[in-house]
Amino acid sequence: MEKMRGSGRIKTSAADKAVSIVTYVVVITLCLVILLPCLNVLALSFNDGKDAARGGVWFWPRVFTLENYGEVFQDGSIINAYKITIARTLIGTLMSLIFTSFAAFALNQTELPGRKIITFLITFTMLFGGGTIPTYIQYNELGMLDTFWVLVIPSLVSVTYLIMMRSFFDGIPYALQEAAKLDGCGYFGIYFRIMIPLSKPVLAVVGLYTAVNLWNDWFAGAFYMTSDALWPVQTVLQQMLARAMSASQQITNVADAIAASQNTVTSDSLKMAAVVITTVPILCVYPFVQKYFAKGTLIGAIKG
Amino acid sequence: MKKKRSTVTGITVEYEPLWRRMLNCWPLYLLLVPAIVYYILICYVPIAGNVLAFKDYSFRLGIWGSPWVGMRYFEMFFNSYDCWRLILNTLHIGFIKCILEFPFAIILALLLNEIRAPKFKRVTQTITYLPHFLSSVIIVTMMQRILAPNTGVLNQVIAGLGGDGSTFWLMQASAFHEILFGMDIWRNIGWDSIIYLAAISSVDQELYEAASMDGCNRLGQVWHVTLPGIRPTIGLLFIMGVGGLLSSGFEQMWLLRTPGNMSVADTLDVYVVRVGLQQAQFGYASAIGLIQGLVGLFLVVTTNALSKKFTEVGLW
Repeated sequence: MEKMRGSGRIKTSAADKAVSIVTYVVVITLCLVILLPCLNVLALSFNDGKDAARGGVWFWPRVFTLENYGEVFQDGSIINAYKITIARTLIGTLMSLIFTSFAAFALNQTELPGRKIITFLITFTMLFGGGTIPTYIQYNELGMLDTFWVLVIPSLVSVTYLIMMRSFFDGIPYALQEAAKLDGCGYFGIYFRIMIPLSKPVLAVVGLYTAVNLWNDWFAGAFYMTSDALWPVQTVLQQMLARAMSASQQITNVADAIAASQNTVTSDSLKMAAVVITTVPILCVYPFVQKYFAKGTLIGAIKG
Repeated sequence: MKKKRSTVTGITVEYEPLWRRMLNCWPLYLLLVPAIVYYILICYVPIAGNVLAFKDYSFRLGIWGSPWVGMRYFEMFFNSYDCWRLILNTLHIGFIKCILEFPFAIILALLLNEIRAPKFKRVTQTITYLPHFLSSVIIVTMMQRILAPNTGVLNQVIAGLGGDGSTFWLMQASAFHEILFGMDIWRNIGWDSIIYLAAISSVDQELYEAASMDGCNRLGQVWHVTLPGIRPTIGLLFIMGVGGLLSSGFEQMWLLRTPGNMSVADTLDVYVVRVGLQQAQFGYASAIGLIQGLVGLFLVVTTNALSKKFTEVGLW
């Protein structure tokens, strides 16, 4: 597309040039606005906590130290929280992919009696739901509160991902399925031997979305758990944040800030180290899946 | 493509009785079981559980055994001192999120589409998608650091420019909406632009050539070709967004709330969790949740109907 539009031109007009310049300036500014705060967090996490409380640490640590990271890794409760987050993300993503693709495949088969009504009933939950309290009470009735399962089950089969997968299956030539049927392949055979091997892009995208949501969720830990034994790491961070928000009311000047950083349990540098450690693993998955993004979202959009 | 029953049996699907067709599909029903159990237990039982709004819930009696109280909780809410403040706060934030923030992703997609250097474009996209992968907790923790009085980056810049660098931004009710707006744009602009970029890439290329022949410059092409081409996508996303007008994103509100900005940051979502989960007033909180849910449903259905009537774009 780029070639076609470029070669036909006789000469770029002044107006077009202005458009180009404005485009680049805006886009580069946006990228800086997104990156610089992240750099600031990185710099703080590698900087000595007491020193950082004086301010003035920008994008490079002033007093370099690895102590913050060391301290985070020595904290037993944070390590435990990491284990829970990892377990939750792996188990939850795997279960979601299996159950969602099962349902998407079944609803993709046009000869299935009742497929329209089932699809409607599932899609309807996107528009109207039970609300926070009835949901909470249902989890309680199911005995899910204070168990590991409340971290996994609530997001097991999402409507959006189900529709994305079903639309992707729609795009796989029906002739393949028909040929398999003629060869005596049952539904399970078609699912495992044809649909799943051909669906890597959509499985990758849905898998990543689900993993990111599970990794980043703090709500379940904060509101469906009465003890901190099963808190995922995001909930631990959220509780730190909440404490900091209420403690910081009194801090109004630099001296107070330094005093506070020496007295309170967690210095900002320590917190930033925790932020970095919590974010890096999920960011590592992202480049591998990026190429599928545009495709995946488009599928969801057309049929959504 | 028209699908037919397998030719092995020699019978077309129309002539088989329903029960036999269902029987033939048993493996499919088996595959659907986990999803159906999930939707019944996790979605539909709570939908039925909305009757809680009309009941005085007690753990001992359960939802169905608890006594009916009629519309008492709705009256309680509309007569309460908090009611209108909460609704106005929610609408204000909903307006920022659904209307004010809406065009930015489209603008970014249009800008990215004008970039001709593929490498630069890819790097930009990677960077702008990045914040989507950070959790709300992480972003608010970062913001708390950056917006801190005196030592935060923003205040240091202000002080460096000769201003007063001691403002505690997160405690200022007056700065709350700006902070929220900035945070949302920062986090979502790149991610939300993906869908528009995908829509733009499916616009017919010949239209651009035709426009170019007719003497349209790049700006003109964006206006006359690209924007009309992605109008259905814009419409669909707008309709979806309008449903969220009354549920303004619980996570962010809960995390950004401080004693200082409480007067504007207290929304219906936050209130439901506060009185429901923290103070265990289940019936009362359910009533408010039910109002939110019904209004959201009504908004989506109405916007969809209007949109279908005037632009022929609709969700269903």
